[in-house]
Amino acid sequence: MNYVLNFGAVLRGFDDLLSGLALGLAMGLAGLVVGSLIGIAAGYAAVFGGRPARAVVTLYVGFIRNVPILVLALFAFFALPQYGIRFSNTNTFAAVLAIYAGAYLTESFRAAMLIIPRGTIEAAQSIGLTGVGVALWVVLPIALRNALPSVGNNFISLFKDTSIAAVIAVPELTFQARKINNESFRVIEVWLVTSLIYVTACGLLALALRRIEKLFPRF
Amino acid sequence: MDAILTIKGLEKSFGAHRILAGVALDVFPSDVVSIIGASGSGKTTLLRCVDLLEEFQGGEIRLDSEMLGYRISGSQRRRLSGRELARQRARIGMVFQSYNLFPHLTALRNVMLGLTKVRGLPNAEARGRAEHWLDRVGLADRRDRYPSALSGGQQQRVAIARALAMEPRLLLLDEVTSALDPELVQEVLLTVRSLAEAGTTMLIVTHEMRFARQVSTRTVFMDAGAIVESGRPEDLFGAPKTKRLADFLANVSH
Amino acid sequence: MGKFLTVFDSASSALAAAFAMTVGISAAAVAGGILLGLVIGLALTYGGRVLALPFRAVVDIVRGTPVLVLILASYYMPAGLGVSPGPVTAGVAALTIFCAAHIAETLRGALLAIPAAQTDAARAIGLTFGKTLGYVLLPQALRQIAPNLVNTAVEIVKASSLLSAIGVGELLLTTQEIIGRSFLTMEFYALVGLLYLAVNLSISAGGWWLEHRFRLR
Repeated sequence: MNYVLNFGAVLRGFDDLLSGLALGLAMGLAGLVVGSLIGIAAGYAAVFGGRPARAVVTLYVGFIRNVPILVLALFAFFALPQYGIRFSNTNTFAAVLAIYAGAYLTESFRAAMLIIPRGTIEAAQSIGLTGVGVALWVVLPIALRNALPSVGNNFISLFKDTSIAAVIAVPELTFQARKINNESFRVIEVWLVTSLIYVTACGLLALALRRIEKLFPRF
Repeated sequence: MDAILTIKGLEKSFGAHRILAGVALDVFPSDVVSIIGASGSGKTTLLRCVDLLEEFQGGEIRLDSEMLGYRISGSQRRRLSGRELARQRARIGMVFQSYNLFPHLTALRNVMLGLTKVRGLPNAEARGRAEHWLDRVGLADRRDRYPSALSGGQQQRVAIARALAMEPRLLLLDEVTSALDPELVQEVLLTVRSLAEAGTTMLIVTHEMRFARQVSTRTVFMDAGAIVESGRPEDLFGAPKTKRLADFLANVSH
Repeated sequence: MGKFLTVFDSASSALAAAFAMTVGISAAAVAGGILLGLVIGLALTYGGRVLALPFRAVVDIVRGTPVLVLILASYYMPAGLGVSPGPVTAGVAALTIFCAAHIAETLRGALLAIPAAQTDAARAIGLTFGKTLGYVLLPQALRQIAPNLVNTAVEIVKASSLLSAIGVGELLLTTQEIIGRSFLTMEFYALVGLLYLAVNLSISAGGWWLEHRFRLR
């Protein structure tokens, strides 16, 4: 083996790697926010809704969680333009990520709403709040806090999943890494560094999350 | 004087299991009616039916002559919509065995919630009223505490304030001291007594026999889903007319 | 629809081969992952400072890295070491390590969750550490993580689709080739989605069935 480690090319491309990281984090965040909106609505339907609503949610979650996100992304990327829907690569992937995230976040919020004691709901009803009122002023605030750990873990997974956007040429971290790999042939250095960037980012996110969870513990 | 609450022939079953078998009761203004009986006698279910937390299959409940929970259209009896049920519930106050305070709100905001979101009062006015009711139950200085920072007895008193803030026609109390440590029971009982003395109309389901005897204007004994005896507390407790009540009282004091 | 059926007909053998490839890769990665994960999990839990540390580092790095990056790394890096394992081997290796790291963590969690009283009881009847592990601790831990293993298998099947990025002829890449020739984009992406759905639902159903069977015992 006569491979000599030389981090020069990787260091020169470090800016690109970092901007790729930023893009990945941004997509992850967008996916989390939109996915949470979906997840809250679907989670609520799954716990408090009627049979048709619960069935729809089960189908949605069951489908998305069993199909690879790459297939969903390619479907959106190639098939949608045939129907006249044209987004940029990045936006396409972010939208797919949101729908993908929504399925997992549905579980987070469903579980969070399920552990709200029946008595709390009945107390809200007994002071005259309607279904909407109970959902908005009692269920939602409590569930948001209960779901925090699960949502946080989902965010870290989502961030790692943004790497898949590289396959449809979105210039996030993995895409940039592959570019440096193909241009410089520094095969060992680039993947070591890229992996460490991901690991560090995830580690910092996990630390930040633990801080936030301490501030807002579950009820 | 017209009754605030009239219950006629109330029947409720859960599948094949009969829980309420024809309950009839009238509650007049400033009545304090205590309901005693063994577990499974239907006392809690009765209260929950009145607060429209449960459906019932037969009979009727009227609050100031308005029928609760259902509407008669022709020969059919139909459950009211969620909206209408909520409106009716707002006129009845209920305090639960496990307090059920909203964990994400301070004591003050727990009491304010109904005033702002149901009665639609502006924040400042709701706050003023909520502070009055918290003061009434002796917890004005705890208004900014969260339920997790309050003892069981304090939480229950906040729950009472929360129910009273809605200025209900009557107050239902479902075994409000059963979940409390013994040393915390007194503060709640004292609060309830002061409400009785102020003329609050109340229906109290309780195991505390001495308290029931002291504070109620009328006592009702339930067994197997029906009212077996009803009358003045001193009559029921001192000279039970039925064997079932006599047995119950004998069991309870040992 | 007619065109789809025609194309599907002529591509069916290619699809079947690709399907077998996906299942084969996934099964190999899961099997290898379970074996490797067991070893690493035990090392992490009982290895003491010296042994656990390197494993800890590896597991943390693998878990913090996206699986696509693991796959690309295992595809490109060997060239620097003078080896050329080929895309399939590289891909399966990456998936196996990914699976093993996850299982190792899960196993560690399950083993640590077993009350110390169990070990005390085992020692009290004279079992050695090895026997305690084999007859008391592992059976309980494995039973605990069984549902998790089913989920992991599903994740590996989904991750196998990423091997298309390094040219492995599994289900997704083959489907893309069919689309490239026939231009029936929507239809074939929908088909491949349903195929993955079918595989994963079968795995989950199989898992429930197995759980049921062992509960009834």
